[in-house]
Amino acid sequence: MNEKKTAGQETALPLAGLRIVDISNVFSLPYATGLMADLGAEVIKIEGPARPDTTRSGISGVFPENEPGADPWNRTSTYNLLNRGKKSVALDLRRPEGREVLKDLIRASDVLMENFTPRVMRGWELDYPNATKLNARLIMVSCSGYGPQGPYAQYPAQATTLEATHGLAHVTGYRGGVPSKAGQSFVDFLATWALVMGTTLALRYRHRFGKGLWVDVGMYQLGCYMVAERILDWEVNKRLGERIGNRHPWLAPQGCYRCAGDDQWCVVSVQDDEEWAALCRTIGRPELAQDARFASNSARMRNHDDIDRIIAAWTAGLSKTAAMERLQAAGVRAGAVFDARDMHLDPHAKARGLLETVQFPPERGMGKRAIIGRPWRLSKLPLSARGPAPTLGQHNREVLQDLLGYDDARYAQLEQSGILGTRPTQPRPVLRMSMEERVRQGRLAYWDPEYKERLGMQD
Amino acid sequence: MLPAVLDDLLVLDLSQGIAGPFCARLLADYGADVIKIEQPGGECGRRMPPFFHDDPHPEKSLFFLLLNLNKRGVTLDLEQPQGAEIFRRLARSADVIVESFPPGYLASLGLDHATLEKDNPGLVMTSITPFGQTGPYRRYKGNEIVAYATSGIMAIGGTADREPLQHGGFPAQYETAMNGMLATNVALLARDLTGLGQQVDLSMQEAVTSSLVINQPYYSFAGGVQGRRRPEGSAFGQIMPCKDGFFVTQEAGGGTWDEIADFFGRGELKDERFADPVQRIVNGHELDAIILDAAKERTMAEMFKTASEQYRMPFGIVQTPEDLAKCPQLEAREFYQEVEHPVIGKIRVPFRLWNMSASAATCRRPAPLLGQHNLEVFTKFGCSGAEIGTLRERGII
Repeated sequence: MNEKKTAGQETALPLAGLRIVDISNVFSLPYATGLMADLGAEVIKIEGPARPDTTRSGISGVFPENEPGADPWNRTSTYNLLNRGKKSVALDLRRPEGREVLKDLIRASDVLMENFTPRVMRGWELDYPNATKLNARLIMVSCSGYGPQGPYAQYPAQATTLEATHGLAHVTGYRGGVPSKAGQSFVDFLATWALVMGTTLALRYRHRFGKGLWVDVGMYQLGCYMVAERILDWEVNKRLGERIGNRHPWLAPQGCYRCAGDDQWCVVSVQDDEEWAALCRTIGRPELAQDARFASNSARMRNHDDIDRIIAAWTAGLSKTAAMERLQAAGVRAGAVFDARDMHLDPHAKARGLLETVQFPPERGMGKRAIIGRPWRLSKLPLSARGPAPTLGQHNREVLQDLLGYDDARYAQLEQSGILGTRPTQPRPVLRMSMEERVRQGRLAYWDPEYKERLGMQD
Repeated sequence: MLPAVLDDLLVLDLSQGIAGPFCARLLADYGADVIKIEQPGGECGRRMPPFFHDDPHPEKSLFFLLLNLNKRGVTLDLEQPQGAEIFRRLARSADVIVESFPPGYLASLGLDHATLEKDNPGLVMTSITPFGQTGPYRRYKGNEIVAYATSGIMAIGGTADREPLQHGGFPAQYETAMNGMLATNVALLARDLTGLGQQVDLSMQEAVTSSLVINQPYYSFAGGVQGRRRPEGSAFGQIMPCKDGFFVTQEAGGGTWDEIADFFGRGELKDERFADPVQRIVNGHELDAIILDAAKERTMAEMFKTASEQYRMPFGIVQTPEDLAKCPQLEAREFYQEVEHPVIGKIRVPFRLWNMSASAATCRRPAPLLGQHNLEVFTKFGCSGAEIGTLRERGII
């Protein structure tokens, strides 16, 4: 990052000049196109005025200071993270006049991305074979629950339900307990990354061979890949696998141990005899390294419960970060269980700068906010979010008139007939629940009213 | 038919374990010539279960097979000067190096990106580590559970009355691999513009954090910190038992609440106390009881079909590896491919992650045996037969 730039050429964004039509909803595709906006693409997000992106509702996030404001649909946390740096056009695709505008946009763009269930684009005759009639070099990228072929093709799907169906819940859960989900909307993010991988491959393909292609991501099979080695174990050894909580399937010990303080935890994982000896020294029990009960990996697997008690007795007197630091200093894998506040304030996170600050224009009344950037750094290509997420329909005029060249009369007609809009025509109910109530209801572990000061983001 | 999209690339895979090798495999799936370079003793991935017929033989790890499909394999001791010299020779022709050593290790051998790019300005090096190349934790060791803990995802896994819970298996490793391939593609696109390669610094901790798009801005927008769910009274949207297994459904993204009530055949779900999302949280305990009772005589297969086809509800059932092995949907998506492995024999492997209308992933060869391609690779890079013999004697290959 400190290297001198030569003629600005080194830092040209790799997707500069690329136009993406982004008909996206929820997490997977909006995030993918948000990342591509970071990489320099012009992303035009299309939403229906009657059915804007579901992340514009506050259900799965929160408003700044928990205040819905006059335009709650523009203010939700997750929407604003995912859709950074895009343009917004609110266009009713259910009506033919709206689809005519979309067709013009497809003609003027490089990439068309959508995450409808497969029948929708086919029904509008805008699936890949039809879309390429509008634009021969078009790259099209689709994301659906199960993909357009097969018996489940038209089944609705969300990450929450797929997490069971794609096999991850079967191997997740406390030891001996019931199957569980973990995390949030897990498979959506696999889809995000697959969509960017597929689009970048397609761009290289077009660059090399002068032709577009269709990328078809089905979330179900991506999720199934997370248990690929378990599927092989079944195919060959007829083993179904079991739920083992936080233990390692073949190494011991490994677990999550309670530390000093309220709800503070540290994970520990030992991979060989040498690390076991290092752990024993670190916790002040060097004699255990010679103890026959723990002398080999298989002995430690057998006597895991005893080891858990020994490690927990040591962690109980330490903060989670002190436990992590001491074990890591001795060469033993350990990690404090960080929550969302730690994610913002931990010294390593701060030094790395995964979180970036987006400044909103004053009229939006949202101040500046930290959002997740990208987990990869490129040594010669400084990247950052290129601006806040747009308000609904913010770029209607710019896109239709400046880009597509619609005259004033045609634009006014589209506005008057409600094909274009800047407000949801059927606003979703806003979740109004105080932060204290969210804690009482168990939706939050706690609320930190001082967060702005801690982040240094006072208005 | 046009060539595969990455078939003009030579990739050297120095990585070990799961994330790095799978990243390099994804490049191989799209046509890159990937040469896996292992220490003469073989990488740790060869010792990872499950094994073919549970035989812990270095050529029988099914996990290794999966992560190293489509690659050729050589052995080379980079710590011996002659080994490092041969690696430099390969690196001059390479487009991409994938590596997962601790930060600073390759520099100590004079094989870091800054050194190698002097002879090959277009070289991309994708470095995959637990905590990245910079920052106070850069030398920390990591693995699946350490990434889960430090990323923030584990703090919201499991129930509030117990310890935080990770996902089973190795999803953090797979997620990191996907980001590695993605970032490598980005670096290659940048190279097409500038002619210059660069180093990609990928942190496993950050790859997992990047999936927390609800959790992270909850704090930066309003100071909210999510935790683990309560053990009861909030099961809707979680895994629930039915007659022969487990299911999960949720209200967002499907039909109306009334339709959900009709699917479960329980009119009382339409009561005032369940009328909106807040009420359904507040009265979650009663809600759970009604749904559990409604599901106890119904099977997973029947509910999956009925909910998906007649009510258009997003509906999931807990499937096992056996179910996935027999799944007609995966069949229709060509998820499985067959390969012939010299030791294991013919085997069907989970392969295709997504589909493309052209240049789709192809399964061309099994994982390499240890040092299987030494002769052909080192000969191509200018080693004579006598030289290869000497290298072998000295344990360099």
